[in-house]
Amino acid sequence: MKHRLFLVALVSLISLIVSPQLMASSESEVAQPEQAKTAQVALPSALTYLNNMKQAYNNLNYTLLYLNTAQNKIEPKQLVHGVIDGKRISYFTYLNGAMRESLQFDGKISFYQQGTKPYSLISHQDQSVFADIANFDFKSGNRSYEYIILGKDRIAGKKAIAIRMISKDKYRYSYIVWLDLGSYLPLRLDIINKSNIILEQTMVVSMNISHTVSPWIKQLSTQSTPDILTLPQTTTSNIAQWNVDWLPTGFKVIKDDQHKLMMHDTDPVSYLMLNDGIVSVSVYISSNKSLLADQQTIIQRGGTLIYTKQVNNAEVNIIGQIPLVTAEKIAASIKPVH
Amino acid sequence: MKEYSQDLSSLIDNEFDDQEIIDTVLEDVELQQQFSRYQLIGDVFREESDGLDLRVDVTDSVMAAIANEVQQDNVVPLVTPDKQETNVVPFMKRFGQYAIAASVAGVVVVSSLVVNQDNATDASSTPVLNTVPFGGAAAPVSLQATPAQTESDIKERNERLEALVKDHQLQLQTKP
Repeated sequence: MKHRLFLVALVSLISLIVSPQLMASSESEVAQPEQAKTAQVALPSALTYLNNMKQAYNNLNYTLLYLNTAQNKIEPKQLVHGVIDGKRISYFTYLNGAMRESLQFDGKISFYQQGTKPYSLISHQDQSVFADIANFDFKSGNRSYEYIILGKDRIAGKKAIAIRMISKDKYRYSYIVWLDLGSYLPLRLDIINKSNIILEQTMVVSMNISHTVSPWIKQLSTQSTPDILTLPQTTTSNIAQWNVDWLPTGFKVIKDDQHKLMMHDTDPVSYLMLNDGIVSVSVYISSNKSLLADQQTIIQRGGTLIYTKQVNNAEVNIIGQIPLVTAEKIAASIKPVH
Repeated sequence: MKEYSQDLSSLIDNEFDDQEIIDTVLEDVELQQQFSRYQLIGDVFREESDGLDLRVDVTDSVMAAIANEVQQDNVVPLVTPDKQETNVVPFMKRFGQYAIAASVAGVVVVSSLVVNQDNATDASSTPVLNTVPFGGAAAPVSLQATPAQTESDIKERNERLEALVKDHQLQLQTKP
């Protein structure tokens, strides 16, 4: 009896020592997947956040004060956006230096600058600061980018969530976008290269959302706009046609013409515009062979690259927010059409 | 002096074409004033003065009065910048509206051609030829390597690059 009691005591003692560990391990095994499951259900995916951003950016009435930073140069700007009878209107201004303003409404964008005559251009794409990223087709864009939630942050006094859009190849830049968790409006956008160096940054410092459209831009919408300027006539005669054999995934040719350059009395140049939904790249091909162009030139500011190279007795200029390797590869793939 | 009065009135009536007299009149300020007074009298006689416009030139007397005026200490005389403007006018005349169109797009451009020295930090990408400011704009750094390149070549090249960047900006605004 005594012996048995001792055994029981021993067993219980052992179990006491072992069980907390057992208990703990079994607990953690059970709890972890549960937590992950609830996280998936409760928190929207990066894609949902990005689509919410698109909705908010296009449909809300807001005023943003923001800073543009590229290569140690900071430029403060303002954007006022509203929706009047289903039509979007956005007013943009530089806050420092000479008055430079633009107003985009009803298929036109009008430019006003101190000391010069205002003018309008026909423009159907939103030209405002976050438009390129906000209007991206995120769903089909996942062929080129991967979306990852980085975590929470605080921007312009608002709770924000950071989402990283990582390029799946080396031919485009990646982005980190911060969204306001309340309204889903974009608050910050970094353009980063594959070494994770920030090339350009746009950061909102003040955001004001209103239910109704700002009375001031409502009044602007009723004013007559300056005369519409037409771009130089495009011609198709007597010019060699060019073909780009290689484009990075997701890029398409959205413009293909010949035109004269503004303010430059030259022969028409062959022009291609490439676009991947976010970035627009201009490719110019001309016979103009300047004395200095016997080697390639690369000028970079922020994310924008100006690349010049002699290809097949022609000068190729590529301008856009793309890495150098992309420009080199596009330039190398340009061939005349026979 | 008096002898010219007759000649002046002949001149006014287009009845006189003695080159010597005309030259004398052109050199003599007082005769010119007299000429303009005669013209005025003629206009009034012919009722072409519209009654109001007596065109009495008071500029000189006003200027003289202003010159004698003691200038107030808090008034700063205006300095008109005449030299700076000269570049702008022919430029605008030459390119017209497009110059304006590109000038706003060009806001980005001018700064676009600023040097990038930070490329070295990005070791992963292909080495980028750094650019150095030359005559207010960027120029290829290989300038020293090829002495054949003149300042005007570089200027021409930069102008072309700037025109390309401006065109790029405009194409972005009007993209389909």
